[in-house]
Amino acid sequence: MIRPALAAALLLAAAAAFPQSAEEIVRRLEANQRFRTQEAEGSLVITDRFGSRTKTFLSYAEGQERMLLAFTNVEEKGQKILRLRDEIYLYFPEAEEVVRLQGAALKESVMGSDFSYEDLTGEKSLLDLYEVKLSGRELLAGREQFLLELKARARGVAYPAQKLWVDVEEYLPRRAEYYALSGRLLKTLEVLEVRRVGGRSVMSRAIMRDAMKKSSSTEFRVQRVKLDEPLPKNIFSLEALSW
Amino acid sequence: MKLAALAFRNIRRNRRRSLLSGAAIALAALAITFMFSWLSGILGDYRHNVVHYLTGHVRLRNAEYQANERLNPLHLSVAGSRELVARLEAEPLAAAVAPRIQFATAIYREEQTFGALGLGVDFPREEKFMQTAGSLSEGRLPRMGQREALLGAGLAGEVGVGVGERITLLGKNKYLGMAGMSFTVTGLARFPVSGFDRTFLLVPLDTAQAMLKMQDEATEVLLLARQEREAGELAARAGRILAEAGRGEVEVRPWDRIGMLVSLMRSIDVMYNFIALFFFILGTTVIINTTMMVIFERLREIGTVAALGMKPGEIVRLFFLEAFYISIISAFLGVLLGSAITLLLSRNGVDLSRMLQGVDFEVSAVIRPRLSIRSTVLVFLYSVAVSTLASFLPSRRAARVQPVEALRSI
Repeated sequence: MIRPALAAALLLAAAAAFPQSAEEIVRRLEANQRFRTQEAEGSLVITDRFGSRTKTFLSYAEGQERMLLAFTNVEEKGQKILRLRDEIYLYFPEAEEVVRLQGAALKESVMGSDFSYEDLTGEKSLLDLYEVKLSGRELLAGREQFLLELKARARGVAYPAQKLWVDVEEYLPRRAEYYALSGRLLKTLEVLEVRRVGGRSVMSRAIMRDAMKKSSSTEFRVQRVKLDEPLPKNIFSLEALSW
Repeated sequence: MKLAALAFRNIRRNRRRSLLSGAAIALAALAITFMFSWLSGILGDYRHNVVHYLTGHVRLRNAEYQANERLNPLHLSVAGSRELVARLEAEPLAAAVAPRIQFATAIYREEQTFGALGLGVDFPREEKFMQTAGSLSEGRLPRMGQREALLGAGLAGEVGVGVGERITLLGKNKYLGMAGMSFTVTGLARFPVSGFDRTFLLVPLDTAQAMLKMQDEATEVLLLARQEREAGELAARAGRILAEAGRGEVEVRPWDRIGMLVSLMRSIDVMYNFIALFFFILGTTVIINTTMMVIFERLREIGTVAALGMKPGEIVRLFFLEAFYISIISAFLGVLLGSAITLLLSRNGVDLSRMLQGVDFEVSAVIRPRLSIRSTVLVFLYSVAVSTLASFLPSRRAARVQPVEALRSI
C-alpha cells in the first residue's frame, strides 16, 4: 500500500509533467523562451512569385522589451530595426531621420517577407492579451502537442485569435495559426528545427506563411546563437543606431 | 431670280420675325461650334498629358512589368538604360528619349508619412516631355547626381514642406527590401494636372538608382516621335534596335496601344460624342422649331399669294429661299461668334482647378478650347442644311392648302 505522502508526491509530479491548465502551459512556454540576453546571426529566406531572396542579419535582444536587428546582406547593409517596448524604429544609413513606425505602418511587411513589424513587437505575456483554452492534444510530426486556442481579450492586438501547438515535452511552440476577427486565417508559423544551446532549447528554423499572399513564405534561420552573455553597452538606443 | 428678290423682300419686310428666326439659328450654331472646340480642347489636352507625362509616343518596359505594376516591381526593369537611350536617340524619327524610374514612396517628415509617386528622371531630357523647368513655381530643378527633389506644389502643401527643407523618402528597393534616403527640396512645380500636382515627386534618375539599388536601370524608357503619326513606325524601329541588341525582355508599345489609356480615351471620345450629339439635337430642334413656327404663322400670307396666282411649287421655293438666306447669314454669324469666343478663351484658358480638385483624371486644370476648321465648316454647313430643309416640309404642306381655307384658318 502506498503511503499518503508518497501518493501526494506522485500526484504533484504527474501534475507538473502534464499540466492540465492552459495558463500553466503558456507560462511554461514563455519561461522557456525567456532569456536575459540573446545574440544571434541568421537569415530570412523570402520566397514569393518573383523568386527567392536572402536577407542576413545580426540580432540582439535583452529581455522581452528590447531588440535590435541589423541587416548585413549587401542590398540592405547597415539598415537596422530597433524595438523598444512597443515602439519600432527604422534606421537607414542614407537617411538623416530615424523613422518611427506607428499605426498602419506596423502592419507592413519586413523586407517584403511574411513577417510584419507587428510580429516583432509584443513584450507582454500572451496571458495578458488573450483568453487561453486548452482544446486537447494532437500529434505533429510524430510528437505530441498541446493545442491551445487563444482569443484576444481586447481589440487592438495584431491577431484577434490564435491556435498554438505546444510540444508536450519541451514546452516550445511547434506551430501557430493566426486568425482575423472574422475567423479568416491570416498567417501560419511552423517550427522546423529546435537547437539546444547551453542546456536551453532555441527555435533555430521556422517558416512563416502569409495566407493573404499567394505562393509566399519566409524561412527564418538562425546560424549562430549566444544566450545570456553581455551585450555591447547602449546598443538599444536611438543614438547608437548609426554605429 | 424673281423669287429670290421676293424672298429677300420678305426677310426685310418682317425684320422682327427674321431676326428671331436668325437668332435661333445663330445661337444653335454658336453653341455647337463652341461645344466642339471645348471637347476638342479637352481631348487634345488629355492626349498631350498622357503622351508627355505618362507614356511618350512609344514606351519601352520590361515585358512582365505591366502585369505586376501594382506591386511596384523594380526588378522587372530595363537594364543598360544608358546605352539603350543613346542608341534610341540616334534614331532619326525620335525627337526625344527619356529613361524613368517610377516608384511608390512615402515622404517621412516629423513622424508622419505621406504617400507619393516617385519619379527618377533625367531632368535635361525631361524638358521635351514634362517641361519641368516651365512647371517650376518656386526654387530650381534638382541637379543630377544630387540628393535633391522637386515636389508637386499640392504635395508640398500637404506635407508642409518648402524649398530648402529636408525630407526622407521611404520605399522598397529593387530587391523588395527597404530603402530610405534624405533629400533637399530644391523646387516646387505646378503641373497642369491637379492629380500630378498632389502626387508627383521628382528626383534625379541616378540618385533614384542609388536609393533603389538599380544600377544602370530604368522602369521605362519613353520616346517622343517627331510627328505623332509616326509613332507606329518609331515603335517598329525601336523594336528592331532591341531585337538587334538581343533585348527580347523589353516590350515596345506605341502610346495608342497601351491598353487602359486607349480604352479610357475611347470612352472619353464616346462620352464627348454623346454630349456633342445632345447639343446637335438641341440646336437642330431649335432651328426646326423656329423655322416651322414661322411658316405656320404665315398661312394667311400663303393663302393670299396663292389667291394671287402663285403656284404651290413657287410658294415652296419662296419659303425655301427665305430660310436658306436667313440660315446662311445666321449660321455664318453664329459660327463666327462661336469661333471668336473660342479663340478668346483659348488664349488664357478656362480655369477649372476648383472643380477638378480631387479628380484623378489626366486633364489639365486650365482648359483651352481648340478651334477646328473642319468641324467649324461642318457646323456651318449643317446649320444651313437643317434650317433650310426644315422649311421644306411645312411650306410644302402649306402650299397644298386651298387659298380659301388658308385665309379662313387664321
